[in-house]
Amino acid sequence: MCWIEYQVLQLLGEDKAVQLHAVEESFTGTLSDKIINSSMVMLAILIGLLTILTWHFTRIYTTKSLNSLAYGLRNELLQRPISRMWNIINSTTEITTAQLKLSEYVFRRYNKPATQAEQVELYEVMRDITWALFASRKALNAITINYKNGFVQAFHRDHRSNNTFYIYSDLTNYSISAGGSNEINLLSSHQSWKDQSIHGNISAIWYQEPLDPVTGEKIGKAKPIPPDDLIKIAGLSQVPDGVASWHVAVSKYTDSPLLSAALPVWDPSNESIVAVVGVTTALYSVGQLMKELVEVHSGHIYLTSKEGYLLATSTNAPLLTNTTKGPKLMMAVDSEEKVIKMGARWLQGAYGNNFSQRHEIHAENARLGQEQYFIDSFFLKLKRLPLVGVIIIPRKNIMGKVDERAFKTLVILISASLCILFIGCICIFILTNGVSKEMKLRAELISHLDARRRAEASSNYKSQFLANMSHELRTPMAAVIGLLDILISDDCLTNEQFSTVTQIRKCSTALLRLLNNILDLSKVESGKLVLEETEFDLGRELEGLVDMFSVQCINHNVETVLDLSDNMPKIVRGDSARVVQIFANLISNSLKFTTSGHIIIRGWCENSNSSFDIGKFPLNQKKSRPAHKTKLKEQGSHTKKACKQDNRMTLRFEVDDTGCGIDPSKWESVFESFEQADPSTTRTHGGTGLGLCIVRTLVNKMGGEIKVAKKDGPGTLMQLYLLLTTPVDGTEQHCQVDFSKQNLVVLLALRGRMGRLIMSQWLHKIGLFTVEASEWNELTQILRELFRIRSSVYNNGFDAQFSLSEPLSTKVMNIKDMRNPAFIILVDIGLLDLSTDIWKEQLNFLDSYFGKARFAWMLSHDTPNAIKMELRRKGHMLMVNMPLYKEKMIHILEAVIKERNLEGQKKSSNTLRTTKEGDLHEYLEIDATQFDVASSDDSDISEIGSSNSVSGSQTGEKRRERLRKPGSSGYQAINNCLVELTRVYSEENYSTERDPCHVRLNSHDVQNEEPKCCTRASLSSEAQSESSEQHLVISCPTAQGNIYSSKAANEQKSLEGVRILLAEDNPVLQRVASIMLEKLGATVFAVGDGLQAVDALNCILGAEDCIRESIFEDRNTRTQTEIKDFPSYDLILMDCQMPKMDGYEATEIIRKSEAGTGLHIPIVALTAHAMSSDEAKCLEVGMDAYLTKPIDYKLMVSTILSLTKRTA
Amino acid sequence: MDGVAQLQKQLVDFTDSLFQEGFLDEQFNQLQQLQDESNPDFVVEVVSLFFEDSERLLNELAKALEQKTIDFRKVDAHVHQFKGSSSSIGAQRVQKVCIAFRNYCEEQNIEGVKPWHRCLKCLQQVKLEYSLVKNKLETLFKIEKQLIAAGGSIPT
Repeated sequence: MCWIEYQVLQLLGEDKAVQLHAVEESFTGTLSDKIINSSMVMLAILIGLLTILTWHFTRIYTTKSLNSLAYGLRNELLQRPISRMWNIINSTTEITTAQLKLSEYVFRRYNKPATQAEQVELYEVMRDITWALFASRKALNAITINYKNGFVQAFHRDHRSNNTFYIYSDLTNYSISAGGSNEINLLSSHQSWKDQSIHGNISAIWYQEPLDPVTGEKIGKAKPIPPDDLIKIAGLSQVPDGVASWHVAVSKYTDSPLLSAALPVWDPSNESIVAVVGVTTALYSVGQLMKELVEVHSGHIYLTSKEGYLLATSTNAPLLTNTTKGPKLMMAVDSEEKVIKMGARWLQGAYGNNFSQRHEIHAENARLGQEQYFIDSFFLKLKRLPLVGVIIIPRKNIMGKVDERAFKTLVILISASLCILFIGCICIFILTNGVSKEMKLRAELISHLDARRRAEASSNYKSQFLANMSHELRTPMAAVIGLLDILISDDCLTNEQFSTVTQIRKCSTALLRLLNNILDLSKVESGKLVLEETEFDLGRELEGLVDMFSVQCINHNVETVLDLSDNMPKIVRGDSARVVQIFANLISNSLKFTTSGHIIIRGWCENSNSSFDIGKFPLNQKKSRPAHKTKLKEQGSHTKKACKQDNRMTLRFEVDDTGCGIDPSKWESVFESFEQADPSTTRTHGGTGLGLCIVRTLVNKMGGEIKVAKKDGPGTLMQLYLLLTTPVDGTEQHCQVDFSKQNLVVLLALRGRMGRLIMSQWLHKIGLFTVEASEWNELTQILRELFRIRSSVYNNGFDAQFSLSEPLSTKVMNIKDMRNPAFIILVDIGLLDLSTDIWKEQLNFLDSYFGKARFAWMLSHDTPNAIKMELRRKGHMLMVNMPLYKEKMIHILEAVIKERNLEGQKKSSNTLRTTKEGDLHEYLEIDATQFDVASSDDSDISEIGSSNSVSGSQTGEKRRERLRKPGSSGYQAINNCLVELTRVYSEENYSTERDPCHVRLNSHDVQNEEPKCCTRASLSSEAQSESSEQHLVISCPTAQGNIYSSKAANEQKSLEGVRILLAEDNPVLQRVASIMLEKLGATVFAVGDGLQAVDALNCILGAEDCIRESIFEDRNTRTQTEIKDFPSYDLILMDCQMPKMDGYEATEIIRKSEAGTGLHIPIVALTAHAMSSDEAKCLEVGMDAYLTKPIDYKLMVSTILSLTKRTA
Repeated sequence: MDGVAQLQKQLVDFTDSLFQEGFLDEQFNQLQQLQDESNPDFVVEVVSLFFEDSERLLNELAKALEQKTIDFRKVDAHVHQFKGSSSSIGAQRVQKVCIAFRNYCEEQNIEGVKPWHRCLKCLQQVKLEYSLVKNKLETLFKIEKQLIAAGGSIPT
């Protein structure tokens, strides 16, 4: 259920993650889009504004200044013709005025001419005066005087022909009387005078007299002309109200309009007009000036009268139209000059007909035809003759460059701004692209973080779950194991049942280990793995491991070979369980992929301090191996010495198999979690792919490295090294019998090639002769050869009729030379043909050599009992289980030597022989009884393996239990023997010479045993176990296997004299624990909580009656030194969870008070939690060991023993 | 002698049933092993200690759960103790219920929600298991007493 829930939770989590991710993506997408869009729009607006502003300002300011300049120019242009006109008008006025004044003067002088003569004289004077005035002004066209009586005098200048004329009317027509008669009416009716005179004038005849323009002398004859033909004489009609008047006139003979002024001349009494003076000026010069101006500036200027008649233009276009009635003034709108015409029309259209009435006009953008013009008009207020001046200038003349520049500027600006916009957009795009990329990355990062959080959380859940599960499962497992223990200690079981129960017990422990492994796995995964530091026998652990796996190997047809070099330290410090785990994983891994061939575990020591060549480590070539090894062995002794100085050792190992191998590309990845070299193999081989991962983690944790190395043949070569420390005093190893002096010849009849090879190499090295045989026929051949030759030595008879191979025969020859050799024949049970009954015959064949050589049989775990029985019956007592490794070989050799010496003795002393008749029925089953399954574990290890490997110890144990029963005295004796034997063995180890008395002891020991038990007992191995126990008890509290024996050895009172302070709040548990401990002989003081424990420690407890009394206030003041003098407790059992003060706190206080005194009371924690974190916490506060509730009896004993012995 | 044999058989059967039904576990066996000449009534002593302790704890638990605001730490501690003592005598089923109770307490601590009636349910379960095991043990001791009174020895 839990699992399912957990999975569902995970699934839900993933769903959420997907959603979240999608949201994030869309979010970032829209955001970046928005940013790009908005920033681009902003930039565009900005640049557009900038462009327009720039253009506007440059243009407007230039235009403005230019406009003002243009205005000035236009004004100037117009001012000049106007001033010229003013000049003309002024001079005309002046002349007129002067004429007027002179006329008045003359009239006053000749007032009332009475006679004709006077009248003529008056006219003469008037003529002279007028001439003088006329001559002084060259610009004048004409001066006319029209008298009251109709007489006309006039000077006229023709500018074209440059002729000057004097025009006068016929005098005869005019009478003075007529003049006088009219005088009365003059005031009353001017009109009648005028009409009369006009009529009179019309009827009159005028004479034209050419004059010299300079002198005024008459140069030609006068000729009559019709009146008003040549010039217009200003009459009364021109001055109707008696004031001066102006008007524009045209004449037949000039093509330009004339400006004429008329002034009345009053008589001296100022009552009547006596004459009208008229002055006419041509406007020709104004036009000339205009032309000149326009030539410089181009454009057009014209002057019009108020009514719109053209007076002067800057062009040569005619100003007059010839009609039937004579020349007439032209309207500006009808002008032949196109521009003027269009301008006048434009003005008319824009301002109506009477535009001139208004103020001046300045139009800048008048479009005339295809072009634009400036049009300006000015208004001149002349009396009775208002004038309008108009200037039309093509715009391009003034503003052309400016407009062009402005246009160019605009174009440049626009293109520039477009460029900027484009570049800006690109910039923004790049920028926002980067930003959006960053955003995306961030989103990804966020999601990754989230994923990591979730992964961590789920990993947490997992480890939590695993821890909880294992915790929950441990309880029933403990029950199962406990029940099995009870069953095992029960006597009423049959042998079959006993072995079954033992198997179940082993399986249960294996299962419990599995649970612990799950805890380990979570520890490894979370990196919280803490390696313990205990001493252990590395070689023995590996041997046990190989023993265990060999069972599987045999099934697989695979040979497991353990090849440890002699310089390997025997005892190392480290985490034995982890080291074994490493190798178990590696071996099981190799085994999984190896279907045939061999698996070799090589190990040698390499000390970084010694002069050893480390460079040789990567042993790529298999061939280099032997050479390397011999070198290694030569230096072995030196290395050993060096090792003693420096505790840290580099232990190198190789696991070499002949399996399917690993592809070089996968050499690294196989160490990853859940990784297998070939996924397809999962189906055939199974496994989770966690094994190698754990191995690497562990190896790295131990300061080593692991890798896959190149190998010549098929298969895989794993190389690893570990950094382990050796204890300073661990020097008793490697001391073995010098076999080379024993003249031993070993015939290795083993099926496994590698094992045989390595074993024979090693035997050679230690000075023994070996002969190898791989199958039955070879064995028989060698045997025949060997013993035939030998017998031939004695008998001098037979020829060599069996052909042996060359090296073999030389070997045999060498052996032949030996003096009194002892033969040991190691026979693999697999050499016998077990399928049929032939094996019996084969045995019989071998029997014939029984006296000449010692046989040692290599059994496999599935060897049928019948064969074993048969062997036993035939007296083959030396049997070992496969596989064969050095330790076993040494045992065999020692047994053989022992036996030989015994025989030697037997021969020498017959008495001894008789007493020990049955001694030789000794069955030596050499096995790794010491091997402790609890420390070597892996989930892949088959149950068979584990159960098999420990069966020996169980058997031994059971036997001992039974031995105990018949009588304590008997047992005691055996026990003594065992102890003695131990000593003997250790002495043996040191001495090369054998002492006969030891044999006696040995045989004595055997004698005491029941024959039936003897068959299953392994004496030498027991002795071995006993000797190694002495240190194992101290160093390895978790080794359960040892506890059995220690329990047996120490009988019940193993804790005799140990004083224990028990701090436990639970009365039930307190009672149970006390009884348990007391049963073991310990003295127990129980207290209820941590506070009491601390108090109890602080006072001296001399008496037993302090039990359950905890608080001794009066004794609290005891000093530290006193405590030092009287250490009251050997050990404290401390419950962790207690009221008032819990175990952690109490421990901390105790350790604090101990600080500086050199005291250290071992404190063992008791806790209900089985989590590793609790253990860590316990050790952290200063506790020495750790027991879980409910209390495991044996574990408790071993823990207490190890702690008290260490301190004792 | 026939009665003794019958009693012995009854005792063995009863003990077996206790183990089979999970009332007791191997810890109880250990207790029985610890009993010898020097401590002839060890098991009875310990079990009665357990009864005393349990009554006290159950009372305190009941009291703690009656409070308006339940101090779950206190409850947890009590249950922990109860679990410890029950596991020491091997009263397996009580221990299991205690574990469940404790887990529940821990959950309470984490979540902060306190539907106390579920706690009460737990407590009732504990009580039930406790009374069950108490009855069983008392029966067991009674049979043992009868056996000893009849002059038989307790089979181990």
